[in-house]
Amino acid sequence: MPHDHDENHVHNLLPAEPALRVKALETILVEKGLLDQQAVDAIIDEYEQRIGPHIGAKIVARAWNDPAFKSMLLADSEAVLREEGHAGRQGEHVVVVENTNTVHNLVVCTLCSCYPWPLLGVPPAWYKSDAYRSRAVSEPRRVLSEFGIDIPKSQSVRVWDSTAEIRYLVLPMQPRESVGLPTPELAKWVTRNSMIGTGLPQRPKDDQR
Amino acid sequence: MKPPHDMGGDPSEPIIPDKPDDPKFESGWHRRVLGITIAVGAMGAWSIDASRYARESLPRSDYNKFTYYEKWLGGLINLLFQKGLINKNEIKFGRGDSKAPREWRQKVLSVKNVGAVLAAGAPTRRDGPEPIFSLGQRVCAKLPSDTQSIASGHTRLPHYISGQAGTIIKCHGVHVLPNTNAHFLGEHPENLYAVEFKASVLWEQYPSSLDTVVVDCWESYLDRA
Repeated sequence: MPHDHDENHVHNLLPAEPALRVKALETILVEKGLLDQQAVDAIIDEYEQRIGPHIGAKIVARAWNDPAFKSMLLADSEAVLREEGHAGRQGEHVVVVENTNTVHNLVVCTLCSCYPWPLLGVPPAWYKSDAYRSRAVSEPRRVLSEFGIDIPKSQSVRVWDSTAEIRYLVLPMQPRESVGLPTPELAKWVTRNSMIGTGLPQRPKDDQR
Repeated sequence: MKPPHDMGGDPSEPIIPDKPDDPKFESGWHRRVLGITIAVGAMGAWSIDASRYARESLPRSDYNKFTYYEKWLGGLINLLFQKGLINKNEIKFGRGDSKAPREWRQKVLSVKNVGAVLAAGAPTRRDGPEPIFSLGQRVCAKLPSDTQSIASGHTRLPHYISGQAGTIIKCHGVHVLPNTNAHFLGEHPENLYAVEFKASVLWEQYPSSLDTVVVDCWESYLDRA
């Protein structure tokens, strides 16, 4: 057990209530000249307003519509995503894994909660939960059924545990009824969960056809 | 004893998926912890590996009780203290006693550099030797404790594959070794592999013989099977 009674554990000297604890830390850091609060605001703004699953969805939709792009993406995801400007913090080394009729991919990080932030944005609460981190590797089919997905026995489930700095993005199978749509329309079918493996692409709600 | 963060395979609750309209952050302080952690991290006083180690070495009772961003916050406070950037008195009273040394204040992330810092990230690929193992080779995962560079130190080798045999399915190239880097003992880059294990080998009474689990393992985590 690492350092249970170590004197380096000073976090509990600050108020236990987390909103107060972070406020106290922010005050200390600003008073010490170690924090620019405007930079903090700008970081939050990036993740709240700019970076999200729409970025991953655009990549997936393009791969569906452009076989040459798809083979480049699967061969060297890291180079392609760097070229596209999506290889930032926590997505420096991405590997795209393709779902097929024979394999369904599922991504987890059992040791913390590593996630491809530049492609999917801030991870959802369930992805960071003990329940998902514990069970995704040992009973993935049951976990998938809790997301409403049943994988046929003939299809294998391959779980990727993100233990290193490699981040995995699932390239889901394209729904037959979406074939032929222009890429921006197609991107609306690509859900966040379909790129983690806990979901499948879906007809967008505003689709009138 | 298995540390609390190494939870792969533990029994746990059902999962509660989110709803499409759920906010990105459950509460205001979550986003503040995210922003402060990234901003302070950008000063370069520690690596992602040291941050992870600080979170996972929170006392077990705190680790189990804390939510995700509380772990970030606890780890951040302890790291700031360990690196001498804030002192115990300041933490106790929630006030800064004095300005930090100029060398640190000069490294503070400014608003104009936020975009560039997030876009650059912190790549871990390095130059290094050719891989010892090859695609398709059978390998066996060591015990996590046999890969630590200090007692109870950091490792990214989870217990659930320890002692099990798997197959190399991908060579990721040479990457910084967290086991030393987390303790400020250098990057010691090593080849990194994706190793595939049969789920029916890892877990008792597993319902499918087709399913697999892939774990990224540094070369020093593996023996020939």
